[in-house]
Amino acid sequence: MQERLQVLVLDDEPIVGKRLQPALAKVGCDVEVFDAPGPALQRVAAKRFDIVVTDIRMEDIDGIEVLEDVLERWPTTKVIMITGYATVEVAREAMAKGAFDFIAKPFKPQELRDVIARAAEALGFAGIERAAADDPA
Amino acid sequence: MADNPAAFPDAAPEVPDASSVERAFLRRPSIGIRARLALGFLSFIVFAVAVTVGAWIMLSRLERRLRFLEVADRYTMEIQQARRFEKNYFLYGGNLQDVQEHIANARRLLVAVAPDAAEVVASAELGKMRDHLGRYETLIARLVARDGAHASADRAERPAIEAELRDHGSQMVAFALELAEKERASVNATLALFKRLPVAFLAFLLMFSVVVANFLARQIVGPLSRLMATTQRIAGGDFTPLMPLRWYRDEFSTFSVALNTMMRELARRQEVLVQSHKLSAIGTLTSGVAHELNNPINNITLTAEMLKEDYGSLADEERLDMVNDLVVQGARAQKIVRNLLDFAREGEITTERLDLVEVLRQAASLAANQIKLSGAKIAIDVPSNLPAIHGDRQSLSQVFVNLLLNALDAVGKGGHVSIAAGTSREPGYVQVVVSDDGRGIPAHVLPKVFDPFFTTKSRGKGTGLGLSVSLGIVRQHGGDIRVESAPGRGSTFTVLLPAAMVPGLTENDAQATRPSASKPSRPV
Repeated sequence: MQERLQVLVLDDEPIVGKRLQPALAKVGCDVEVFDAPGPALQRVAAKRFDIVVTDIRMEDIDGIEVLEDVLERWPTTKVIMITGYATVEVAREAMAKGAFDFIAKPFKPQELRDVIARAAEALGFAGIERAAADDPA
Repeated sequence: MADNPAAFPDAAPEVPDASSVERAFLRRPSIGIRARLALGFLSFIVFAVAVTVGAWIMLSRLERRLRFLEVADRYTMEIQQARRFEKNYFLYGGNLQDVQEHIANARRLLVAVAPDAAEVVASAELGKMRDHLGRYETLIARLVARDGAHASADRAERPAIEAELRDHGSQMVAFALELAEKERASVNATLALFKRLPVAFLAFLLMFSVVVANFLARQIVGPLSRLMATTQRIAGGDFTPLMPLRWYRDEFSTFSVALNTMMRELARRQEVLVQSHKLSAIGTLTSGVAHELNNPINNITLTAEMLKEDYGSLADEERLDMVNDLVVQGARAQKIVRNLLDFAREGEITTERLDLVEVLRQAASLAANQIKLSGAKIAIDVPSNLPAIHGDRQSLSQVFVNLLLNALDAVGKGGHVSIAAGTSREPGYVQVVVSDDGRGIPAHVLPKVFDPFFTTKSRGKGTGLGLSVSLGIVRQHGGDIRVESAPGRGSTFTVLLPAAMVPGLTENDAQATRPSASKPSRPV
């Protein structure tokens, strides 16, 4: 039995977390969901996540700050950015600051799973993607 | 420009149809400037001709007088000659033939001169003269007859005839001398008049020239200064057509018609500018809307995908929750798009009673995504009991969107923008103050910010039409926009709009009660 992937999802749209939780849990992730950056960063301070998925554009603290904060604390954590619309500058800035990848809204759950699978592979986890495809549940 | 009342057209001006104004111009009889100038000079010519003809008539009359005077002198001479021969006859007893000859000459002269003499002496006197002459002739004839018949001559008769002859003779001489004297006096009077005439003519000509020149100058300068005032009014944004003021038309009327055409074109172009700037504002808003739209779409995608994926394994209430989310997010997307579409719709300008609060709320919600994207903080302070205004909802919301977007541009991330509405210190006006704590506007640029195509933004980012178009719209509503700014201390734009007076009053009533003395003026 493989260790489960620890994932934090941060998006100020509550529905995003609500839907991604079961979607990612199905492929072997332990998912914690936040819809405000403050509590999410507090949680990050307390626990190391393998993967952090964060929206870029949020009310108080934006995703770039979250990215910086997470990487400062956990340099090995893979951070995946969600953007409202992918612009070159935002993507370049995120990548330059060490984001693993970014995904543009609107996206399908499977698209995020694919990115997470790649991140997991980079981290040494295996089988996330396959698990998603194979697991009939 | 600030004290130009034309810069503040009424909120709903009774703008007459331009083509009907043009017809009104063309209906008037044409009296051109050229015709008036020609008329002025013609009056001079007529005057000169009249003076010439008058002088000619008087001169020819004078000529006749002189001729008459000559005749009168000759007549006097003939009479005097006759009397001299008569005296000789009585003293020395000569013959009377010479007397008769001279008298006959005198009679011929009298007959010849009669028509002219009537001017100088009364016809009764002339008749008396003729009587004297006749009587003298008769007496001379009797003397001649008496001398011919010596024998039967009555000696006593001769002195009586002599006395009578003397009497008539002296009277004739006196008459003739008086006639000549009178005539001479009359000729002298005429000559004196002729001496004064050129001076009088010159004086009159001088006065007449001054009057005509003055009249012509007024005819040209008056309309010119009116046209000049109109161009200033146009520069202030007032495109009310010129109305005919006179009962006739001339070159200035043609010019006015051309000016009206130009104003119509300008007004049309202004509309095009408003519309094209709106398109650019829509472009800016669209990026925000697109971003905002992604959220509900993303929610829908995720929810729908998961519903499809897990359909079989989900509990009924979970499925219901997901479907509900779909419905709610669908409505959210619709609302975002509808707001923008309302703004973008190219509608007729309709004046209606408006709640300013609602207009501001609409503008703020249109810019909401931009606000979110810019990372600026916005504070809205709008009292709910604000007086209503009259105006076009779309245009006014365009004004406030413009001001908001400008403020957001100026502050950038972490800046503050505030919208405060309230009654203005200008009586009868409502004001909306949009202020920011952004970089501010340098003093040398401040007077230009309302100029069309003036922009401080980089090429391609701003059209330079926002403030110009906004001011145009607000002026059409009878209001004004004022700006205060200092570099580094942010900018404050104050939009003044006339308040609708009392509920139920028509627009005209509201205008009638609007204080006109306190119209606001623009400090820039």
